[in-house]
Amino acid sequence: MSVQTPAPATAGTRPESDPEGRGASRRRRPGPAQVATALFLLLLLAGSLTTEGFYSLSNMTAIANAAAVVGIIAVGATAIVLGGHLFSLSIGTTVAVCAMFFLHVLRFGMVPALALTLLFGAALLGVQGWLVGRFGANPIIVTIGAGALQEGAATWISGGTSVYPPPDAPDFSWLASPLLGVPFPVYVFVVVTVVGEVVLRRTVFGRQLILMGESPQAARSAALPTSRLTVTAFVCAGLTAAVAGVLLGAFNQSGTLTTTGTLTYDSIAAILVGGAAVTGGRGSVLRTAVGALVLAALADMLLLRGYSTPVQLLALGVIVVAVILLNHLTSHDKETR
Amino acid sequence: MSVEAPTRPSPARRTARRTHTSRWSGLAALAPFGFAALMLVALFVVPAIAGREPTVFSVYNALQSFSGMALVALALGLTMIIGEFDLSVVGTYALGGMLAVELGVEQPVLGVVAAVVACAVLGAAQGWVVARWGVNSMAITLGGYLVALGLTGTIGDNRSQAYENYDVSGALNTPIAQVLSLRSLVALAVVALVVAVVMLTWVGRDLRATGGGRRASRVTGVRVDALVIGTFTVSAVLAALGGALQSYGVATATSNPGLSPLIFAVTASLLGGVALSGGRGTPLGIAAGALGLCFFAELFTTLVTPQYVVSLLTGGLLVAVTLLTTPTASRGWAALRRRTGARSRGGAEA
Repeated sequence: MSVQTPAPATAGTRPESDPEGRGASRRRRPGPAQVATALFLLLLLAGSLTTEGFYSLSNMTAIANAAAVVGIIAVGATAIVLGGHLFSLSIGTTVAVCAMFFLHVLRFGMVPALALTLLFGAALLGVQGWLVGRFGANPIIVTIGAGALQEGAATWISGGTSVYPPPDAPDFSWLASPLLGVPFPVYVFVVVTVVGEVVLRRTVFGRQLILMGESPQAARSAALPTSRLTVTAFVCAGLTAAVAGVLLGAFNQSGTLTTTGTLTYDSIAAILVGGAAVTGGRGSVLRTAVGALVLAALADMLLLRGYSTPVQLLALGVIVVAVILLNHLTSHDKETR
Repeated sequence: MSVEAPTRPSPARRTARRTHTSRWSGLAALAPFGFAALMLVALFVVPAIAGREPTVFSVYNALQSFSGMALVALALGLTMIIGEFDLSVVGTYALGGMLAVELGVEQPVLGVVAAVVACAVLGAAQGWVVARWGVNSMAITLGGYLVALGLTGTIGDNRSQAYENYDVSGALNTPIAQVLSLRSLVALAVVALVVAVVMLTWVGRDLRATGGGRRASRVTGVRVDALVIGTFTVSAVLAALGGALQSYGVATATSNPGLSPLIFAVTASLLGGVALSGGRGTPLGIAAGALGLCFFAELFTTLVTPQYVVSLLTGGLLVAVTLLTTPTASRGWAALRRRTGARSRGGAEA
């Protein structure tokens, strides 16, 4: 069997094996960012043209508000995906458990309650990250198991009932109220997104995490602290899940496991629609935020048109499949088996 | 610098090493059956200790659960053997049940066939994408799961649907020989068929080879792509059959079963000796793991344990089994085997 080596290309000429200028066409292919942006613009266009009331100010506020909670969760969970550890399939449960915890510890005052809830969320995900990073356990299975454990423990402690804030709890209604006409969670979403982008792009941790996701073997060869990076990525996800839990608890004024809903899948879909590679190493917090907005706009449009929740779930599934395929086919570093 | 030729181990040492290795492999292969047997014994002993009367009806109940869940475990386990992971089994399980209930009132078999065909198409599409494009199976089957769940909810109007052919439900649940039923017999027949095909033909060997190393398998002539597509198709068919059997049995199709079937399937597969990295495990082991897990769940039902305890135990068991099968744990097991092997070889030589 002979192995042919490609002839070296002369400067200024196209190699024979590339008569159509595939290099140029490769440059013309849309990247994940362009795909996410184009999808969002198409959605807005279709929505504005075909759905009555879609472009109204109140509807836009509703979309931003809906995107905020999912976006906050997704921004943190992007760290897990970027590090090459797929997804957390119990992050919605963690959000619900954090909401219950926040309302319970409000008796200690607002600041201690916020600090304790953030610590609690970070610890819940941190332990899962430790199991994944230290022992090489499968993240999907660990997070599914952790979800069952959290549900069991929450039901045990709460007695299976909703958790309400104590009568002497400090005023927390501002967490769910509008500020200058914009819901408070939207501000939090913006702040979390900016902080997340800075952490992932401008810090050593962020760069090391992306390298680990790109090539775990290279990261180990470069003596990067892979276990610590994994734990930190999960802790980031835990912190944002706790923030989302606080906002949801404040909005609902009660905490129950049913709050979970489709938060897990919505956040994963937001990350994927934002163009993150499921194998890690590629993605951005800003694009994840755009992904959350795309999905919120889609859900809003379907709701305005009178479609039920399962249809929204179906549309979410179709979008997830389409985006995964699109990203995979347009990426230059497809995984090969 | 002289290089010493490696000394050839003595015949006694070689025999001891072979005996030791085969003893470990034999023990590992028997572990799922040991677990199932242990749980069966516990099903009678533990309630007696707790002051409750153990009955054969508990075994019947466990086998009723087995009829639906074992097929889902088998569906997921087969994809794990080839080194993939089919998250959509929960979706196809729900979709299969809903389609069978909606379409099989007059003709139950037709309902099952429709459910199986629809889910097979979904499974084949996922398998094709994984095999031909090399897309990560967990990601693409997450999409498949959402699509299947969305379809189930849309067909079922976002609520559980009753199956109005009570004659079929009654016939499926009528006890046979005290512990069996038509429902569990059908499931056992399907399990036996899969076990026979995988373990008595070249299919099993090629499945494990594909899971062990895809490129090497291609080189040795294994039709990897066809095998991956086929496995995802069979996975969807099994999950749909499990859903249909379960829905007919309880006369209800649920629009969203949650993640419980997935937790069960993963735990049963891991207990059954399937490696997450692929290339290891048999359908018989998965079935034994599923049976043991059904006895385990029934034990807590018999003891009237609150649901949260079952959640805690299931989640804890899943995390524990996952940790025991991690690369770090595997290295630990290998070191332990070497240590005990050296000890036994020393004994043999002495």
